[in-house]
Amino acid sequence: MFHWLEQRPFFFAVMLFLTVAFAGFIEIVPDFSKASQPLVGKKPSTVLQLAGRQVYIKDSCNACHSQLIRPFKAETDRYGMYSLSGEYAYDRPFLWGSKRTGPDLHRVGNYRTTEWHENHMMNPPAVVPGSIMPKYPHMFTNLADLATAYANASTQKAVFGVPYDQKGMPKLGTWKEAKAQALEDAKKIASEMKNQSVKDMVAAGKVPEIVALIAYLNSLK
Amino acid sequence: MQSNAQLEYDYSVVKLFTFATILFGIIGMTIGVIIAFQLAFPELSNLAGEYGTFSRLRPLHTNGVAFGFTLSGIFATWYYVGQRTLKMSLKESKFLMTVAKLHFWLYFITILLAVVTLILGYTTSKEYAELEWPLDLLVVVWWVLWGVSMFGMIGLRRERAIYVSIWYYMSSFLAVAMLYLFNNMEVPTFFWSGDAPSSLMHSISMYSGTNDALVQWWYGHNAVAFVFTTPIIAIIYYFLPKESGQPIFSYKLSVLAFWGLMFVYLWAGGHHLLYSTVPDWMQTMGSAMSVVLILPSWGSAINMLLTMKGEWQQLQTSPLIKFMILASTFYMLSTIEGPIQAIKSVNAIAHFTDWIPGHVHDGTLGWVGFMIIASLYHMAPRIYKRELYSKKLMDTQFWLQTTGIVLYFTSMWIAGITQGMMWRAYDDYGSLLYSFIDTVEVLHPYYTLRGIGGLFYLIGFFMFAFNMYKTATSGRVLDKEPANASPMA
Amino acid sequence: MKKMVIGGIILIVVLMAATFFIAGDAFQGDDYINALTMLGALAIISITVATALKYVNQIKNDTATGELADESWDGIGEFKNPIPSGWGIIFIGTIIWMFWYFFIGYPTNQFSQIGQYNDEVNEYNAKFKDKWKNPSKETLQAMGESTFLVQCAPCHGVDAEGIDGKAQDLTHRISKKQVLYTIKNGQHYLNYAMGAMPPLMAQGADAEAIATYVAGGLKGEAPAAFAACASCHGPDGKGMNGMAPNLKEYDETLVKHILENGKKGAIGTMPSFKGRLNETQQKAVAAFLSSIKAE
Ligand code: HEC
Ligand code: HEC
Ligand code: HEC
Ligand code: HEM
Ligand code: HEM
Ligand SMILES: [Ca+2]
Ligand SMILES: [Ca+2]
Ligand SMILES: [Cu+2]
Repeated sequence: MFHWLEQRPFFFAVMLFLTVAFAGFIEIVPDFSKASQPLVGKKPSTVLQLAGRQVYIKDSCNACHSQLIRPFKAETDRYGMYSLSGEYAYDRPFLWGSKRTGPDLHRVGNYRTTEWHENHMMNPPAVVPGSIMPKYPHMFTNLADLATAYANASTQKAVFGVPYDQKGMPKLGTWKEAKAQALEDAKKIASEMKNQSVKDMVAAGKVPEIVALIAYLNSLK
Repeated sequence: MQSNAQLEYDYSVVKLFTFATILFGIIGMTIGVIIAFQLAFPELSNLAGEYGTFSRLRPLHTNGVAFGFTLSGIFATWYYVGQRTLKMSLKESKFLMTVAKLHFWLYFITILLAVVTLILGYTTSKEYAELEWPLDLLVVVWWVLWGVSMFGMIGLRRERAIYVSIWYYMSSFLAVAMLYLFNNMEVPTFFWSGDAPSSLMHSISMYSGTNDALVQWWYGHNAVAFVFTTPIIAIIYYFLPKESGQPIFSYKLSVLAFWGLMFVYLWAGGHHLLYSTVPDWMQTMGSAMSVVLILPSWGSAINMLLTMKGEWQQLQTSPLIKFMILASTFYMLSTIEGPIQAIKSVNAIAHFTDWIPGHVHDGTLGWVGFMIIASLYHMAPRIYKRELYSKKLMDTQFWLQTTGIVLYFTSMWIAGITQGMMWRAYDDYGSLLYSFIDTVEVLHPYYTLRGIGGLFYLIGFFMFAFNMYKTATSGRVLDKEPANASPMA
Repeated sequence: MKKMVIGGIILIVVLMAATFFIAGDAFQGDDYINALTMLGALAIISITVATALKYVNQIKNDTATGELADESWDGIGEFKNPIPSGWGIIFIGTIIWMFWYFFIGYPTNQFSQIGQYNDEVNEYNAKFKDKWKNPSKETLQAMGESTFLVQCAPCHGVDAEGIDGKAQDLTHRISKKQVLYTIKNGQHYLNYAMGAMPPLMAQGADAEAIATYVAGGLKGEAPAAFAACASCHGPDGKGMNGMAPNLKEYDETLVKHILENGKKGAIGTMPSFKGRLNETQQKAVAAFLSSIKAE
C-alpha cells in the first residue's frame, strides 16, 4: 500500500494530511467550550490594566515569567492558590509562559505593591540583590498605548461577547469616557508612587507605561 | 512524466537560500550568545536601552534561528534535493522558476520585517508565533508559494515513486500550513477601535486562556516537529547516503518510521501543559504518546547509522560524515530526553527550568545546526562547481562546535535539575528552603559556561561562513560534478 | 572501540555525579519526584550512549549487505532489509504500555491532579501538626527565619533592615517619621479590637515629643502628652494586652494583625499575607522578629 501511495503524490498528500490532522480534533474539540467558561465573579481587565498587559507582552516578560501555578505544595506555598482554568477566560492571548527564569507572577498582586514594583522595575538588583532581571527605566518615560488597549477591550466586547458595560463589570463606554476612566485609575496608582516625573506626567494627562504595567501587575490575584 | 533528457539543474534559488541561511544563522546565533551572556551578566541587558534587554532579544533569537536560519536551510535543500530526486529542473518551467524566486524574495523580506518589528516590540507573545498579523499574512503567501513549487515540481518529475526525503518535505509543508493557520487566528483590534487612534498592528487571539494554550502547544510542539525534525530528516535521508555513496539500510524501516512519526507526533503536544489547567485526560494522552514517540524518531536515526555500516574509514576521514553521524546521535539524545521530560513526575521538576532550553539545544545545535551545515557543505562544490576551500578548517569547526554543544547541554542539564529541585525543597521546619533569588544566584556559573559553549558554536559558525565564502569565490574549479564524497582541499 | 566505550561510561558517570553533587543539597530522599527525575536523567544519558555505541560498533566492524530495491534516486539506492527486530519489538511494547498507562495507570476517569495535590497537602499538614505540637523558642526562631527569608526578604531585605527605607526596618520597632505620620493621619488597617485610631490626637510640639519618645523605644520619662496615647496603647505602650498595637516591640499579636490585614503607612504598603502562613508559622515569624531586635 505504501509503495502504491509513493507513486501517487496526490493521494499520498491526502493520506498524510488526514494522519496528521486527526489528533488535533480529538484533543482540542471535546473540552473547548467548557474550557472557555469564566470563573464566577471573574471580571475582565480595565483599559488601564489592558494597556499594562500590552506592555508586559511588548517587553516579553513572559520570556522569563510564568503565570501558571501548578498544583504542588511547593508552588502554592511560594505563589498562592493553584491556577484555575476559569481565571484565564478573558486572557487573549494566554500568558502562561514556558520558562521561569524569574518567579511566577500569576498572583503577584497579592504579595507585592505599587511602590515595590516602582523600585523594582527601575532597578531590580537594588531591591533584590543578585537579581538578573533587566532594568526597565524606559517604562518611566514611554507612554502607554491607551487607544490600543481600548480597541482591545472593545474588540473583546464586540467579537467575543466579553461582558464589559454590564452590571458589576468594568465600564468601557466611548473612547473619551474610557480614556478619562483610565486616567482616573492611573492617578490612583501614581499617588502611591514616588517618581516625580511620573506623577507630573499623569497629572498632565499622560500615562507612562510603568503606571499601566503596575495596574496590570496589581490586578494579578 | 517527462522524457529522460540530459538534465541541467538550476541552482540560482538554492544559492539565494544558502546565502540567507548563513546570514540569518549569524544574526540568530549572535543574538543567542548575547542573551546567554545576559543571564550570566545582567548588566549586558541594558546596553541598548529598551531594544537590548534580554526579553526583547529572546524572541528575536528564536525567530531568527527557527524561521531565518532553519527555514532557509530547509528551502535551500528543498530546491536542491527536490530537483535531483524528482529528476526535473527548474529550467524546464518558467512558471515554477518565477514562483521559486518570488518565494525567496517574499520570504527574505518577511524575515527582515520580523527582525524590525520584534525589536520594536510588536509581538503576540505566543512562542514561535510571535509575528503580528500583517506578517502572518505574508508568511501565508510564501508558504503557499512553497507548496506550489513543491507540487509543481512533483508534477514534472521523471521518477515514478517519490523518495523518502520528499515525503518528509511534504509533511512539513502540510502540517505547518494547518498548524500555523489555526494558531495564528487573530482578530486585528483596529477595526473595533471606534475613534480611538489605536495601532494597526495589534491583534488578539481568537482563543482565550486554556484554549489558547491548547492550540498554542498543539502548534508549538509540532512546529518543533515539522520545522526542526521532519525537514531535517528529509535532509539527512538525502545527504548522508549521497555523500557516503551507501544505499539506505532499510526501506521498510523508512516507511514505518515515517508513518509512525506522522501519526504519533501530533498527539504529544500536551506534554507542554502538564499540571496546567487543561483537562487531565489530555495531559495523560500527551505524556503517554511522547514515550511512544521515541521509537519512530529513533527509527530514522538508526536507519542512518546502519546505512554507514562498515564505513568507519569515511567517518575518520570526512568531516562531513562526522557532522552527519553526530547529528543523528544528537537527534537520538533529544528524542529520548524529550519523552522522559514528558513523564508527569519528571516534568514536575523539568518544566519551567533550564533543562528545557538544554533539551532544545541538543536538538537545535546538534541535530538541526549540524545537518544544515553539512548539507550546505555538500551542496557547495555542486552549486559553485568548486572544491571545498579547507578540510582542516571544517575539522576544527567540527570539534569546536561539538565542544560547544557539550558545554551547553551539560551546563543546562545540571542547572535545570538543580533549579527544579531547589524550588521544591523544604527545610526541617516544613518551610520552603530557598527563596527564589537563591535559585537564581546558584545558576551563575552554569549560565557562564553555557555562554562560553554558545560562543564556541558561534565561532565555529563563522568558520563555516568563511569556508563557504572562500569555496564560492576561490575554491579550485571542478570540471566534473563529484558523484559522492565532496572534494575538499 | 574500547576507548569509546570507556569514554561513554565516563560521560555518564561524570554527568550523573555532577548533577547529584550540585543538586544534592536539594535532593531530599522523601520526595519521590526527585528520585524519579534522577532516574530519568540516568536513563536518558545511558540509553543514548549505549545505543550509539552499539551502532558505532557496527559501523566499525560490520559490512553493509542486503538486496537492493529497483529504484534509485539521484544515485541513492535502498536495501530491502527487514526492520531491526529490537526496534520493532520495543515499538510494539511502548504502544501496549501506552494503552496500559491510559486505561490502567492513569485512568482518565479516576486520576485527578487536584486530588493528588489535596493528598499531598493533607499528608504534609498531618506531619507538620504532629511534629510541631509544642515547638521550643529556638525552633520557632529558626522556622521564622526560614519563612522570613522566602516570604518577606524581597521587601524587608535579608538583613530585615528594610532595604534603605523601602520597607519597614524590622530590627527597630518604629521611626519618628512613622509615629508623626500616624499621629497626623490615624491608622485603620490593622483591625484591632479598639477599632481605628483617630487622626490628630496630638499636634505641634506635643506630637514631636511623643514621636521622639516612642521612636526611642519608650525609655525614660514619658512626655505629658503621651497620656493621650496611653489611653489606648497603655501607659507602657504595649497595647493593653492586644487591644491596640504594641508600640514597643513586635509582639505576636501585632505580627498576626499585620500578616492578616497588611497596612498602609508612612513608608508605603505592606501586603496582607492572609492564608499564606499557618498559625505556627505566624508565631514563628514573630519569634524571629523579636530575636533580631537591635539595641
Ligand atoms: C532576564 C529575565 C527576566 C526578565 C526579562 C524579566 N524578569 Fe522579572 N524577574 C526576573 C528574576 C530573576 C526575578 C527574581 C529576582 C527579583 O525579584 O528581581 C524577577 C522578579 C520579578 C518580579 C517579582 C516577583 C516576585 O514574586 O518577587 C516581578 C513583579 C517581575 N519580575 C516583573 C517583570 C516584568 C513586568 C517584566 C517585563 C517587563 C520582567 N519581570 C522581565 C527575571 C526577569
Ligand atoms: C482611640 C484609641 C487610640 C489612641 C488614643 C491612640 N491610638 Fe494609636 N492606635 C490605635 C489603634 C486601634 C491602632 C491600630 C489601628 C489599625 O487598626 O491600623 C493604633 C495604631 C498606632 C500606630 C501604628 C502601629 C503600627 O505598627 O503601624 C502608632 C505608631 C500609634 N498608634 C501611635 C499612637 C500615638 C503616638 C498616639 C497618641 C498620640 C496614639 N497612637 C493614640 C488606637 C489608639
Ligand atoms: C511587598 C513588600 C512587603 C512584603 C513582601 C512584606 N512586607 Fe512587611 N512591610 C512592607 C512595608 C512597605 C512596610 C511599612 C509599612 C508602613 O509604611 O508602615 C512593612 C511593614 C512591616 C511591619 C511593621 C508594621 C508596623 O505596623 O510597624 C512588619 C512587622 C512586617 N512588615 C512584617 C512582614 C513579614 C513578617 C513579612 C513576610 C511574611 C512581610 N512583612 C512581607 C512591605 C512588605
Ligand atoms: C520524541 C521527541 C520529543 C519529545 C517527546 C519532546 C518533548 C519535549 C518536552 C516534554 C518539552 C518540555 C515541555 C516543558 O515542560 O516546557 C520539550 C520542549 C522543547 N523541545 Fe522537545 N521533545 C522531542 C524532540 C525534540 C526535538 C528533536 C527538538 C528539536 C530541536 C525539540 C525541541 C524542543 C523545543 C524547541 C522545546 C521548547 C518548547 C518551549 O518553548 O517551551 N524537541 N520537548
Ligand atoms: C550560538 C548558539 C546559540 C546560543 C548561545 C543560544 C542561546 C539561547 C538562549 C540563551 C536561549 C534562552 C533560554 C532561556 O530563556 O533561558 C535560547 C532559546 C532558544 N534557542 Fe538558542 N542559542 C543558540 C543557537 C540556537 C539555534 C541554532 C537554534 C535553532 C536552530 C536555537 C533555538 C532556540 C529555541 C527554539 C529557543 C527557545 C527555547 C525555549 O523556549 O525553551 N538556538 N537560545
Ligand atoms: Ca519556551
Ligand atoms: Ca501571529
Ligand atoms: Cu513538544
